[in-house]
Amino acid sequence: MTTRSTPAYQAASLYNDYQFSTGSGYVLPEYPFVEPAELKADTLMRHPVVIVGGGITGLTLACALARQGVRAVLLDEDNTVGVKGAASRGICYTQKSLEIFDRLGIYDRIAAKGVQWSVGRTYAGEDEVYSFDLRQQGSYRLSEQPPFINIQQFYIEAFLVDRIQALGHVDLRWQNRLTGFEQGADVATLTVETPAGSYRMEAEHVIDASGAHSPLRQWLKVPFDSRRGDDRWCIADVRFTSRPPVERHTWIEAPFNDNRAVWQHLMADDVWRLDYQMAPDADPETVSSEAEVRKRLARQFGSDVEVEIVWVGPYAYRSECVHGMRHGRVFLMGDSAKVVSPFGARGGNTGVADADNLAWKLAAVLQGKADASLLESYNHERLEAAQQNVCVTNRTARFLRPAQRSERLFRDAVIGLARQMPFARSLVNTGRMAIANPYSESSACSYAPGSGAGQSVQNVRFAWADGSPGHVNDLLDWAGGNLLVLVFGDLSAACVQRLRRLCFDAPVRSVQVLGPDASPQALEYVRDPQGHLQGACHVFGHAWALLRPDAYLAATGETVDATLVTAIERSLGLR
Amino acid sequence: MKLTPHFQDGDTFYEQLLDAHAELSREDAELFNARLILLLANQVGDARILRDCIEAAKLAPAKT
Repeated sequence: MTTRSTPAYQAASLYNDYQFSTGSGYVLPEYPFVEPAELKADTLMRHPVVIVGGGITGLTLACALARQGVRAVLLDEDNTVGVKGAASRGICYTQKSLEIFDRLGIYDRIAAKGVQWSVGRTYAGEDEVYSFDLRQQGSYRLSEQPPFINIQQFYIEAFLVDRIQALGHVDLRWQNRLTGFEQGADVATLTVETPAGSYRMEAEHVIDASGAHSPLRQWLKVPFDSRRGDDRWCIADVRFTSRPPVERHTWIEAPFNDNRAVWQHLMADDVWRLDYQMAPDADPETVSSEAEVRKRLARQFGSDVEVEIVWVGPYAYRSECVHGMRHGRVFLMGDSAKVVSPFGARGGNTGVADADNLAWKLAAVLQGKADASLLESYNHERLEAAQQNVCVTNRTARFLRPAQRSERLFRDAVIGLARQMPFARSLVNTGRMAIANPYSESSACSYAPGSGAGQSVQNVRFAWADGSPGHVNDLLDWAGGNLLVLVFGDLSAACVQRLRRLCFDAPVRSVQVLGPDASPQALEYVRDPQGHLQGACHVFGHAWALLRPDAYLAATGETVDATLVTAIERSLGLR
Repeated sequence: MKLTPHFQDGDTFYEQLLDAHAELSREDAELFNARLILLLANQVGDARILRDCIEAAKLAPAKT
């Protein structure tokens, strides 16, 4: 989530500990400045990967690369995670993000600290017009991870830093600010300023994860579309003496907020995020003053409820989307590439998915498993996702802030009908929750009618050959950054032979997936007694699925033949 | 999108529509129309037909 906010409270003092403070503001961990080797070196050093920005996106990429043993440097201008004195920022993490964090090894900490939720309710006036329970919806419950966990963004960032430090390979450089950049065909040169002086270094790949105010985007004059509205909101992070239910509540027209919208969401440490829609072009200072916020809280929860205000600040939405996510040696990701309003949790989660998408491709290229042209598919896949997320959030913003009389008229009609008729509830738009965006036109996927190519595979359960339980992420671990061919059903001797040769020649591992009693033909096999693995791979009967390290399907097919070989080549940028 | 008649009884529908509007103020009539469009759109459902209908309505001359 992107917020353009000014903290109304002074920055909390910093400790090497990230427990939530009892007073106002958040306590953030502090990381030491270490003099980079470049400051003493006589020659220009060249790095395979330099990541600019240590937010949730840059740190996710750094952690994913570290896990693959890929050397990288990460530059962050600050000495902490989060923004000093600022809000909790992103709070809501999707199943796909949680599955990624599980692979990176920080999911257990997130689950222990965060709050799970699955029920959302939408109100207009005093009436509930719409509700959902994600646990009852489709396949959400099949993954090892829940539909959503809410937690302050800086916790995840801090967990990532700890994990990167444990894994090694990535040099986290705090208080290193990028001040200059130039690039040629093969290499980019970066100028970096530190408390101990400035230095230059070369990078083969530069990742711009520096956020909505990216300097690189300005220097490179990256073209983008932009939309800025007059909608103004006030965020308040608060704690109560009495607890509201652990659900996402949204009001389109809240009686306690002059019939404007209100969001109510829980985070870690018993902190609630309340977003109040303000009058258009309201004065930000006034609407986010503590006195005003306390008045609003009293109207919403009653005057006898004691409230501790942790953070409060105004923000204005905007949406931006670049036309391309790669510019020479530079890859844009997260808020550097697109900015969305926070409806539906499509900001931070998109950044995490951007990072996970590029990480395995960079690793495969740098380790000589894939051709450098594979990196172009990052642009295809994640630009489609960025555009989709901008489109979806703009629709929500339009519903919540009808621009003209006729937009208001249709919203009134929708809300009026929704009170009685289920069909109209589907038009009530208080945010469409983020999903793992499918890729419909990637150069790295092989499409065929009815194929699952470009779809994400959930972290569902299966059984290892010895009967012990496993999950898709365990299989990806086993594949170790290589492609994974899952073959469902019986295999002829010729097929087994073909698969063996394929795994010998290409960076591929293969596993046979069997029902509860069938006898295996391949050396490596697992069992899928309930068919969850097969369902998650979007295939039926005898079939194969080519799964990438980011748990997306590159292709699916029926028989182990040349189409599989072609699909493997395409997913490695060799075609 | 159908452009030839599909009504079972077009005249009765038209009369019912006018009767429903008869007592309404201009504002209430607008809201009524919006509700009716949404109800009818859900009966159609098909995304392509809905898009074609919106385009066809745009193309019709404003006034004769």
